[in-house]
Amino acid sequence: MRSSVKGRGNVAATTDDTEQHDDGPAAPPPAARRRMGPVVAAVSVFGELLITAGLVLGLFVVYSLWWTNVVADRAADQQADKVRDSWAQGPGGDGDGPVSFDSKDGIGFLHAPTMSGDEILVEKGTSMKVLNDGVAGYYTDPVKATLPTSGKKGNFSLAAHRDGHGAKFHGIHKIEKGDPIVFETKDTWYVYEVYGILPETSKYNVQVLSPVPKESGKEKAGHYITLTTCTPVYTSKYRYVVWGELVRTEKVDDDRTPPEELR
Amino acid sequence: MGSVPWYDGRDGMYSWIWRHLPGNGWVKALLSLVLVIAVVYLLFQYVFPWAEPLLPFNDVTVDNQ
Repeated sequence: MRSSVKGRGNVAATTDDTEQHDDGPAAPPPAARRRMGPVVAAVSVFGELLITAGLVLGLFVVYSLWWTNVVADRAADQQADKVRDSWAQGPGGDGDGPVSFDSKDGIGFLHAPTMSGDEILVEKGTSMKVLNDGVAGYYTDPVKATLPTSGKKGNFSLAAHRDGHGAKFHGIHKIEKGDPIVFETKDTWYVYEVYGILPETSKYNVQVLSPVPKESGKEKAGHYITLTTCTPVYTSKYRYVVWGELVRTEKVDDDRTPPEELR
Repeated sequence: MGSVPWYDGRDGMYSWIWRHLPGNGWVKALLSLVLVIAVVYLLFQYVFPWAEPLLPFNDVTVDNQ
């Protein structure tokens, strides 16, 4: 239908112009009706498709860098509130009883004052489904993280998004050696000090998650923390790694007074 | 007979949509806005979340795959 109509236009007038001869003189098309030939029409539609594609890509950028943050921050705030509530309701930190792990709700909060002023909820796993809620996840695969609450020596390895979905590790490049990273659980502040930074490594470099991360220069088992995210900003070409070592722990008091590193 | 009813070969898809929206200019503008919002909603709610994991922008973990 489309092509037959177009066929009556000026360019292809020879193909199908009998009708045009019949009613053409009787009812001349209005002057404004400038008709396109098939080539011009095709180019025009192609141009509109390009414009559409550009708009969709632009929207995708908006989605990635803004909307996912809105959604993720909302989810993270909700889950953080839940964790805080359950801590507040639970029995007071009177003993050294096992910290209750609600693996679904998150196990604690990460504070890295030089990276961001926000507290970052830590949950189990590093799948997109977990991380897209605007939290940091501790590794269960390919190298299982050792949780600081277990008291064992090992590596507390974490991942979070650099951009979009809360972008919790966006400012990871601001962390310098000697900076504190504090992990807060119901009963304890775990104060780590950053001692190693790897600004760029292969995404297949799972060695950085080892219980003793050799690449950071450590040889002996200890209480380590590892933050991983993607780099450079806005891409996922490489991984950025920050290592810290436990300096001390501090009991959480009734007012949850943060350790001096966070004040 | 003289004018072509649904396509007269002089414009692209957007003006085609515009001409086929009912009502006067204001109604058309309003309907266009509703269409735009609907499209953006579909993109943000369904298309982008589907497309995002397929694109290499947001992988943050190290793994051996």
